[in-house]
Amino acid sequence: MPTILVLDDSATMVMSLSHILKGAGYDVETGMNGREGITKLTDGVKPSVILTDLNMPELDGIGFIKEARKIASARYTPIIVLTTESGGRKRDEARAAGASGWLTKPAEPNQLLAVVKQLCPVK
Amino acid sequence: MNETEEQNEGLVCAILAEQVAILRDRMDASEAFDLLWQTSALLSWLAGLLADISRESPQINPLQDRERSEAVTKITTIRQQLDHLAFFQAQRQDFARQIADCVIVALERMSSAQMPEGTRFASADLAALYVSEDQRRLHEDILLRLRVD
Repeated sequence: MPTILVLDDSATMVMSLSHILKGAGYDVETGMNGREGITKLTDGVKPSVILTDLNMPELDGIGFIKEARKIASARYTPIIVLTTESGGRKRDEARAAGASGWLTKPAEPNQLLAVVKQLCPVK
Repeated sequence: MNETEEQNEGLVCAILAEQVAILRDRMDASEAFDLLWQTSALLSWLAGLLADISRESPQINPLQDRERSEAVTKITTIRQQLDHLAFFQAQRQDFARQIADCVIVALERMSSAQMPEGTRFASADLAALYVSEDQRRLHEDILLRLRVD
């Protein structure tokens, strides 16, 4: 079963995303900020897709993407930013850091699953 | 503004920051969401159970089979609506929480304890805390309405 790493500082969002992804047949690993995400990756979690918020304490989404891209196993892992930010400047910043895609909250569950399934189909 | 007035204003900001923080913490409705997800999972299990019962009961009559099929369709529809509602509500709540965070940080910085001596918290400082275009648009609209540069 493919694994999706979900990073968001909102416990409710983490729970919601986990429920939707598990329901679609994915394993889910979670973290409450970018630092926890980096720890997961360095501890050997190899997600097929990473979903991350931007505004998080400790290490924000942009910082996480930059650090994740330095880890060999996550260099080419698709990273989707899921955030309330819809501004072009932030989007450019995330893309420059190495983000693969962008979804603005509120997103539809089907919209989210379509993106994840496109990047990582469930067999 | 004299020193006493400034201290009093800072105190008010500090108190308001604490009060908004309490409101923000009360926004966390994890238990309600957990219940929604549990209900959704239960409905999913029920739909599967009905399908299994139908498969393992060859003597089931056509009327019962039609009712079972209708029940499964209704359960599936309600489950999808619950999932949709919960996901949307979670995102709305997250957005409200982030706006509350922004207010708390602004008030903390405006309180005497947080502001360096001789500096004032400006609208540009507030704008730097925003987490969405909606907040920035609202900020610009208010500046225009109040005709502030």
